[in-house]
Amino acid sequence: MNAPFYSFGLFGDQASLVVAFIIGIGFGFFLERAGFGVSPNLAAQFYLRDMRVLKVMFTAIITAMTGLYLLSRIGFVDLSQVYLVPTFLVPQIVGGLLLGIGFVIGGYCPGTSCVSAATGRVDGIVYVAGMFAGVMVYAEAYPHMLGFVHMTSMGQITLARLWDLPYGLLVFAVVLMALGAFVVAEWTEKKFGGMEPDPKGWLSVRPWRVTPVRVLVLGLLAAGFVALAAGSPYRGNHVTIDTKDLALRAGTGADTIQPTDIADWIVQDRNDYTLVDLRAAKDFDAYHIPGAQNLPMTSLSANSLARNQKIVLYSSDSTQAAKALFLLETQGFKSVYLLNGGIQGWHDTVLFPVKSPGMDAAAFEKLALVAKYFGGAPRETSASTSAALAAPMAPTPAPTVAAPVMPAAPAGGIPAAQHKKKREGC
Amino acid sequence: MNSSDHSPKPYWNPYLSGFGLGLVLLSAFVIMGRGLGASGAFTSVTATVMHAIAPAHATNNALYANYLGDGTQSPLLDWLVFEVLGVLVGGFLSAALANRLKFAVEKGPRISSGSRLIFAFVGGVIMMIGALFALGCTSGQALTGGALLNAGSWVFMMCVFGGGYAAAYFFRKLWL
Repeated sequence: MNAPFYSFGLFGDQASLVVAFIIGIGFGFFLERAGFGVSPNLAAQFYLRDMRVLKVMFTAIITAMTGLYLLSRIGFVDLSQVYLVPTFLVPQIVGGLLLGIGFVIGGYCPGTSCVSAATGRVDGIVYVAGMFAGVMVYAEAYPHMLGFVHMTSMGQITLARLWDLPYGLLVFAVVLMALGAFVVAEWTEKKFGGMEPDPKGWLSVRPWRVTPVRVLVLGLLAAGFVALAAGSPYRGNHVTIDTKDLALRAGTGADTIQPTDIADWIVQDRNDYTLVDLRAAKDFDAYHIPGAQNLPMTSLSANSLARNQKIVLYSSDSTQAAKALFLLETQGFKSVYLLNGGIQGWHDTVLFPVKSPGMDAAAFEKLALVAKYFGGAPRETSASTSAALAAPMAPTPAPTVAAPVMPAAPAGGIPAAQHKKKREGC
Repeated sequence: MNSSDHSPKPYWNPYLSGFGLGLVLLSAFVIMGRGLGASGAFTSVTATVMHAIAPAHATNNALYANYLGDGTQSPLLDWLVFEVLGVLVGGFLSAALANRLKFAVEKGPRISSGSRLIFAFVGGVIMMIGALFALGCTSGQALTGGALLNAGSWVFMMCVFGGGYAAAYFFRKLWL
């Protein structure tokens, strides 16, 4: 079996909406069962009177986390196909704080407000209206704060990768932390909530009594122990390669990305792709496309790259890049692309674009701006092309790309000093 | 079970509700390769409405444009939009089965219904702005990302509790 079912093409987009609706029903059902459709139940969390928000949330997190871990470990689910929201540290800190404040003021979060509204609570309905207003406020401000919302971008990263710790160890640690938090929560409720201890509570009944919650707690703890011992969930994945699809992509050029597109993405500070430089470290150190990471062929694997992210490969050798693409596809990577022309393509179309005969002035002006942004310079004619092209074709291409051969007299060229300074920033 | 008894039934044990919620989240991972969410649906709906009222304004706005896509398909045909529709139905069903459907304003004992509604609206605005900055809310970030050991989600979750506890004192009159 291959899961996630959707990622492996077991059903299409239409059916996924039906799945969404059914999963939503389950989500809403359990939120309501927990008492989350009523604001005072939720707000009580912040006054330590009733810790059900923490209990429900952490039980759900460790249930799904250990379950997903175990299913991945036995090779049923390919964990690298599960979508991770990219991390933008500062915007997420600010967003989290705002959410916490909004939670206390409004008494709901987006999911629970839907349940509240659906069960007739007027405050829930008004809260939902507030959320629509919030989108409108944010949307108007959005174009002016693009720099902020994209700052401190760290890509799609788990705590395991961030701290370079075994995934299973972190699963175990989170289970222990959650169980510790439950004990503290029971204590806080007694102390601040003035609640009579629940005679059937998992900490209150006599030690040898078996209750459903105790079974659950022990089960989760056991799953945590298994995770601690069982190692990486990324192992044991089976991949089937669609060779026809692979051939089709290569044949139609659907697996290549133009250097000018990459340039646009870098300028826009986009974060939804990984740029991989396959050349030797010394070439990479001499010059590389801004934002690229250096990964030689031997270290191309799921350990260094996320399978669910768009990966763009480039090298000075197009055969090598194509081999790397195939290598990644055999490892189950779904969206790997080649930079058209490799580093040479970048050099010729982004750093030193040539004005083609039919090109209008405005289009060339844009190319020129982009070229200057990356420390290159546009060329009015292709007269000097041969010189610029010939040099990087030399046996040691890196230094030439590092210090690109400037056309003898670039029309309106930028001073050499500025040229150099900008490139260092890359 | 006494069918003539129409008083609200007690809520489920929080740990068992959490377990159920965790299984729903796990099935989303296994079936779809993604977690749960909520706030994104509101952005899709707002983008659609704005596009209907002021098409030029919506397509020129970078945020709405992201959600409107290339125009070949309605942004309402979206996974999160359908999931949230399900949440409405699921919440309604659960409350109906437990006699908890009620047309009322839920509030603390010391504020009027009018004030409560004003604060609910303001809270919704702040919450949504926060969710847009963070690329998700308690569902999409804290729950989903928490279970995936997502670095940003854990930072986010700590900040939600931090922000909530820091603000709680100043808004105690709303709830205590």
